[in-house]
Amino acid sequence: MSGFHNRILQIDLSSGKQDVISVENDYWLNYVGGSALAARLFADTDGPISDPLSPTNPLMVMTGPMVGTNFPGSSRFVMCARSPLTGIWGESASGGFFGAQVKKAGFDGIVFLGKCDRPSYLLVEYGRVELADARGIWGLDTYESISKLKQRHEDKQPARVLAIGPAGERMVRFAAVSNDRAHYLGRTGMGAVMGSKNLKAIVAKGTEKIPIAYEDAYPAARKAALAKIKESMICSSFHDLGTAAAMDMGTLTGNVPIKNWSLGENYEMAAAIGGPAIHESILKGRAACYACPIGCKPVVEVDNPEYMVSKGPGPEYETCASFGTMIMNDNLDGIAYLNELCNRQGLDTITCGSTVAFIMECYENRLLSKADLDGLDLSWGNVDAVIELVKKIAMREGIGDKAALGSRTMAELINGNAEDFTVTVKGLELPMHDPRAFHGIGLAYMNSNRGACHLQHTVQAVEQGMVAWPEIGLEEDYPATESNGKAKMVSICEDIGQMANAACICHFVYWAMGLDNFFAGFNAVTGYDFGMNDFLATGQRAWVLKRALNNMMGVTVADDQLPKKVLTALADGAAAGSTPDEELMRREYYELRGLDERGIPTPQLLDFSGLEFLNERLEKARAAR
Amino acid sequence: MEKLDVFSNEWCKAWEDKVKASKDFAVFNKGWQGDIGCVMFKDPDANVPENQYLYLDFEDGVVNGIRMVDKEKAENAKFVISAPYVRWKQVAQKELDAVKGMMQGKLKLKGNLPYVVKYLKGVQESIRCLTEVDSRFPDD
Repeated sequence: MSGFHNRILQIDLSSGKQDVISVENDYWLNYVGGSALAARLFADTDGPISDPLSPTNPLMVMTGPMVGTNFPGSSRFVMCARSPLTGIWGESASGGFFGAQVKKAGFDGIVFLGKCDRPSYLLVEYGRVELADARGIWGLDTYESISKLKQRHEDKQPARVLAIGPAGERMVRFAAVSNDRAHYLGRTGMGAVMGSKNLKAIVAKGTEKIPIAYEDAYPAARKAALAKIKESMICSSFHDLGTAAAMDMGTLTGNVPIKNWSLGENYEMAAAIGGPAIHESILKGRAACYACPIGCKPVVEVDNPEYMVSKGPGPEYETCASFGTMIMNDNLDGIAYLNELCNRQGLDTITCGSTVAFIMECYENRLLSKADLDGLDLSWGNVDAVIELVKKIAMREGIGDKAALGSRTMAELINGNAEDFTVTVKGLELPMHDPRAFHGIGLAYMNSNRGACHLQHTVQAVEQGMVAWPEIGLEEDYPATESNGKAKMVSICEDIGQMANAACICHFVYWAMGLDNFFAGFNAVTGYDFGMNDFLATGQRAWVLKRALNNMMGVTVADDQLPKKVLTALADGAAAGSTPDEELMRREYYELRGLDERGIPTPQLLDFSGLEFLNERLEKARAAR
Repeated sequence: MEKLDVFSNEWCKAWEDKVKASKDFAVFNKGWQGDIGCVMFKDPDANVPENQYLYLDFEDGVVNGIRMVDKEKAENAKFVISAPYVRWKQVAQKELDAVKGMMQGKLKLKGNLPYVVKYLKGVQESIRCLTEVDSRFPDD
C-alpha cells in the first residue's frame, strides 16, 4: 500500500493521551481517505449520538493518498465531525498547503477526542506531537493567530497553520477554520467544533516523503494530467478571473441568486462585482495551492479608506454572490472588506451572507424591527449595516447571538412566516447556484449528505456543460431546466465527486484533467490498479455510508427537500418560470440509489456497498420511527 | 427565402446585417475594442477542403464589417477563436453554445479572456444573429 503512512494520530484532548492508529488495509482500499475514511472512522465512535459541541463528538482532519505528492490538485484535506449548524454529518474541505504538511509530518490524519481544559493548539512537526498552551493567542483573529504561530514555529520548513478566530471560540454555529489565512474550511461549522474543544489551532510541518507505488509510471501520469490542464479553458478562466468569473457567466444562465433568491437577473450588479470587475480594480495578484497549476486565488488590496483591505486573499464567487447579489450590494470594495472581516473572525461567508440576506428580508417584511436589530438599518444593499451585523455575529452580541445560530434556527425564534425566507437544505444554506436554472443541482442539494452543497458531487460542471464524461454515462448536453431523467446524472456525479473527495483532489483540476488522467495518477501513487467500476463503487460506498450515518442522526425523506424559495418561479432572467420537480426527481433518485420510501438505504444496498455492518444499526433507526 | 452558402460574401453580409439590426448588440458591445478572427479548420469529408478564415470588425457597439479574409488577417486579430468546421456548424445551428463550447475546449480562444468575459452578452448576441441567417453548409 502506498500513498499513505498508515499512521493516524489520535489525541484525547481531555487527558492528553496520544495514540498512533494503523487501520486495516481494507479501510484504505474501501474508503481511500478524505471524508470517506473519516466517515468510516466516525461510524466507530460516539459521534452519531453526541451533541455536536460536546467532548464526545470526534473532530477529524483527514488527507488523501495523493496529498503531498506533486500530482496536480493534490492539495486538499478535510475536517469532519457532527455539525453544530445542521446536527448531521459535517465536513469541510480546503486546499492550500496544510494537508501536504500533515503528510510530510508523518501522519495521514488526526482525530481529536475530548476537550482541552484550557485553550491549546496542537503542534505536529517531523513526527513529533505536542499539545501546547494557546492562552496567549486566544481571542486574536485568525490572521494574527496564524502570524504568531508561524513566527514561533517556522525554521527551514514553513509551518502551516489552521486556526479559528473569535467566532469559533464563541461557537458561532457556522464558524470557519482559517488555513494559512488564504484558504478556509467554511461549511458546516468545523470552527465551532474546534472552539468547543478549546482547540485554537493546529500547526504542521515536516519533510517526510510520500510513498509512491509505481515510481516509473508516475511521471508520465503527472505530465499527461498537466498537459490536459494547460489546454483547459476552465482553468485559464479561473486563473485569469478567479472563481468570480462564475458571476458573469452565471448571470447569463440564471445561476446567480439575487435578493435572497427572489430576482432572476441584474446584469449591472453582476458586472460591478464579477470577475472582470475584480480584475480591473482591486486585483493585485494570484495565489495557488500546493501542486496547483491553475492559481485561481485572487490576491486583492483595497485602498478606499471606508473599506480598507490590506493585500491578501480576495473574495471568491460564493462570497461575491452571498455578500453581493444576495444582499443587493454592488459595492465591490465592501464585499472585499466583508470577505476579510469573515476571514479574520473565522466565519463561513456562504452561511453568513445568506443569514444576513434572510434577516434583511425579515426586516423588509416587518418580522424584525430596527429595535430587534440593535438599531441597524438592514435595508437591502446597506453594506455598512451589514458590516456591523457581521461583527456582532462573530462576537455573539445582541442580534448577532441569534444570527450566530444560522438562518434555520434563527427563523424558529422569529414570529410569523420567517421560515419562508430561509433557504437551506438540512439546515445548511444553499451555495450560490440556483436550482431553478439547473434542476439537477437542486436534486444534488436535496441529497447532499452535509446539507445543500455544490462540492459533494460534480453536478454543476456536468449540468452546465463544462465537462462531459460519456464513458461513464455523463453526456455533453443536459437540458438545464428539465427535471426528468436528472437522477441518473446526479447519482453518477455524486459517486465521482465522493471519489475525488476521498482522494482529496481539487475539483477544478479533476474536471480539467479528466477521469482517465486522474485514474492514472491515482493508481500510480496507490498501486491499487483500480478500474472505472472500482472508482464508482468507492464513491457510491462513501455516499451510502454518509447517508446511513445521517439516518442514525435522524435524517429521513422529510429532510430531502428544497426550500420554498427555490420552488417558486422567478419572473425574469434566464430561468424565468422554471421550478425543479422535486417529487419526480426524488422518486427517480430513490429508486436508482436503492433508498426505501423513508430515505434509508435498503439492506440490499448496504450489502452491495460493502456496508453490511450498518444493517443492524439502521434497523434500530428504522424501528425508532 | 433562399439559403446562403456559408463562407460566401452574401452569407457574411447577411450576418452583418442581422448584427447591425440588433439593438441588443449595440448595447451589450458598447465599449468593446478589438477585432475577432475566426479560424475554421478544414474537413475534407465535409466538403471543406481548406481552412476558412472569417473576420469580425466590431468596435464600441458598432459592426464595421464581417468578411472572409486570409490566414494572416484572421490570425493577427486581437481575439482569435478557432475550431474544427463541425463545431462552427454546431454553433451556427444552435446545437452548441459558443461560451459552453469554449469551456469544453471545443472552441479555442486566443486573447484576453477577462475582457471577453466582460462582454459575454455581446458575444452571445452576435452568435444569436448568426443563427438567424438561413445557411447552407458544404456537407448538407
